[in-house]
Amino acid sequence: MRMRPAMRGILALALFQVFGVIVFGAEQFFQTEVIGVSNGLIFALVALGYTLVYGIIELINFAHGDVFMLGSMLAFLLIGPIFAVTVDTPIVLKIGIVLLVLGVTMLGTAALNVSIERVAYKPLRNAPKLAPLISAIGMSFVLQNVGLLMAGPGNRSIDNIFGTSNILSAFGIEGVTINIQQVFVALVTIPLLIVLSWFVRTTRQGKAMRATAQDPDTAGLMGVDVNRTIAITFLIAGALAGAAGVVQILYNNTTVWNVGFRFGLNSFTAAVLGGIGNLQGAVLGALVLGFINAFSDRFFSANWTNALVFGILIAILVFRPTGLLGQQLADRA
Amino acid sequence: MRTATKQPVSGGIGGWVGHMVDAAAEIPGNYRDLLAGKRGRTVLLTILGILVLTYPIIYNQFLAGFSRNVFPLPFPDETTMTFMLIFGIMAIGLNIVVGFAGLLDLGYVAFYALGAYTSAFFASPHFGSVSIVLFSNVASGFPGIHLPFWIILPLAVLVAATFGALLGAPTLRLRGDYLAIVTLGFGEIVPVFFKNLAAITFTFTIGGVTIISLQDVNLTGGPLGINPIDPFVLLGVGFGATSGVAAVYFAMALTIIGIVVARNLERSRMGRAWGAIREDETAAEMMGVNTVRTKLLAFALGASFAGVAGAFQASYLGATTSDFFQFSTSILVLIMVILGGIGNIWGVLAGAIVLVYIDKTLLIWLGQRIGSVAPSFPNPSQFNFLIFGILLVMMMRFRPEGFIPSRQRAAELSIHGLQEAEAAMGVDVETDNVGVAPPGQSEIGPDAREAEAPSEADDL
Repeated sequence: MRMRPAMRGILALALFQVFGVIVFGAEQFFQTEVIGVSNGLIFALVALGYTLVYGIIELINFAHGDVFMLGSMLAFLLIGPIFAVTVDTPIVLKIGIVLLVLGVTMLGTAALNVSIERVAYKPLRNAPKLAPLISAIGMSFVLQNVGLLMAGPGNRSIDNIFGTSNILSAFGIEGVTINIQQVFVALVTIPLLIVLSWFVRTTRQGKAMRATAQDPDTAGLMGVDVNRTIAITFLIAGALAGAAGVVQILYNNTTVWNVGFRFGLNSFTAAVLGGIGNLQGAVLGALVLGFINAFSDRFFSANWTNALVFGILIAILVFRPTGLLGQQLADRA
Repeated sequence: MRTATKQPVSGGIGGWVGHMVDAAAEIPGNYRDLLAGKRGRTVLLTILGILVLTYPIIYNQFLAGFSRNVFPLPFPDETTMTFMLIFGIMAIGLNIVVGFAGLLDLGYVAFYALGAYTSAFFASPHFGSVSIVLFSNVASGFPGIHLPFWIILPLAVLVAATFGALLGAPTLRLRGDYLAIVTLGFGEIVPVFFKNLAAITFTFTIGGVTIISLQDVNLTGGPLGINPIDPFVLLGVGFGATSGVAAVYFAMALTIIGIVVARNLERSRMGRAWGAIREDETAAEMMGVNTVRTKLLAFALGASFAGVAGAFQASYLGATTSDFFQFSTSILVLIMVILGGIGNIWGVLAGAIVLVYIDKTLLIWLGQRIGSVAPSFPNPSQFNFLIFGILLVMMMRFRPEGFIPSRQRAAELSIHGLQEAEAAMGVDVETDNVGVAPPGQSEIGPDAREAEAPSEADDL
């Protein structure tokens, strides 16, 4: 019997819950799932950047993880040294500052991403396909070193400005913790995902993006300003990476100059898992990767998580290069 | 004072600079002509060869003393020279994969690591519960396995080539950027294994029968690595970090062997097959090239060079840890290949020499100079990858074919190079393009040909 994909997904998720509760015990399992969802939502913001850019110019934007890193560095500088927000800051002021930081960081990384596109990728639009990839790798090293110059080689930490209270204890649940950071992650990422989806599906510019992704030459002939569309794609990707940076620093309270590599790797794997170029796929892949990270860290060993993620990435690329939802671009890769 | 109108290159510093810029602008044409002439070429190469062969001794006898006693100048020392050659071997090997066969490999460091750990396993006291000493100056009964380098090196080649083929096998269907990412993943996984396989505890039983049980097996020494490792020894001379010039000449011998092997491979039937799949895999397959075998051999042979480099590096340093083998090393070797000139053995060797020089001598020297004047200024050697990153972006934008390109690759990588190559082919019958049509030599007109060129070289 053939089922619709959504049904299959729900069934798989339900089976996973039953399996998880039996194997790991309910409290451990649900706690890990909470962490997995929080990780996954942050990955989703970064993964969307990879997938948007790949969808439109077929470039693995290697520097994207480092744009995210610079976003988290900027957020660290603003929240830590500049505004000196602590857990005792009045709640209204706290919300105001967080929103301001979010706006500033998103603007900053968006502008950065657009300039990277202009400097490193645009001149290579007609070069062999791997030239921009190599250029992106170079750019990634440049950005990492900018981060190193900005913040030095060590970890940079801020106070946990949300405190450590458990939301669920209000409902009388004590075994599983959902703290305010995790709620904050959802409060920032989910609206952004909805806005992006709305933008790409309904606006004129979103239509231009989809047209360019299908065929830049034809889109150009139909009156789409291809260069502008590509720049806007990088702008959106950069803004999302900046948001992810802010969320990351407020969730983990720490950042470091090479954090972009690990996050970039996970997010790129997520994008590939979902079917690169596919927006819903990227979010789905990111949630799966968030789960895999959380479960591997908790029940296996954090030392092996990176190897596991890379193993998954290789397996997908080799055996199912279109990913989970990647029917849309069967002729790519 | 002369007027500028009469003689644009006037006196003074500005004039001198202008003159040098003019001269530099003329170099490409001149050196081509010089190299094209058989006599000029012989003379140039002889001088260069003598200089390279005697430099370690000159440095050891004169330059080191001058630097120490008179004024510190950034001459490459013995360690830098040795690493120039170690990276030179790797660049030549990566050039087989990336330059000849056109397969972008971002995980080349994995094979370097495999070579290094081959040395570490088979020439160190690490496996102290046994004592195997073979043709070695290590005392008999000394704990650990101690094999001589002429067993270690073939072993390293074998291990690296096997893993190269293992990596190649699942990636045969992939092209372009997906292949690059898979190789990157492989390059990240291998060091993770070396880092984590230090306390393997693993038990698997079925119905009370123990299938496999490992208790605290220390295979790789974990994050601390393996230390000490025996140096390579030949005729009583050791080639470790303390042996100075001797190690440089040993590395030089390995490099020369590498050059000869790569050169022969390039001109062999296999080399032409690599060229064919690089330019158009589908067409090559149609013409009867066995693409599976060709690609696997490219991966395996390319990897074996890194195996040799790694085995020598570990024995040279006398220690190895998984931290040596990071993604940035893969990229460093890739930059050497790109900077020097993708596809050209001498180019990539020059790329390795220049980059290792910048990394290991020039930046450190600059840091010391700057540090003595302005101690708070950030040390440039900490930001080596900032420079390399900028270099990579600039190269891709302005000179993707590298500084000493192979003519064929130049043609593929830039329209400018294509015209140059076509012009050259018009007069020069003796080209390397045996059996491989240069891109764009189709029956479409010259204008369409230019537009066609980039897309034909789709897979780098």
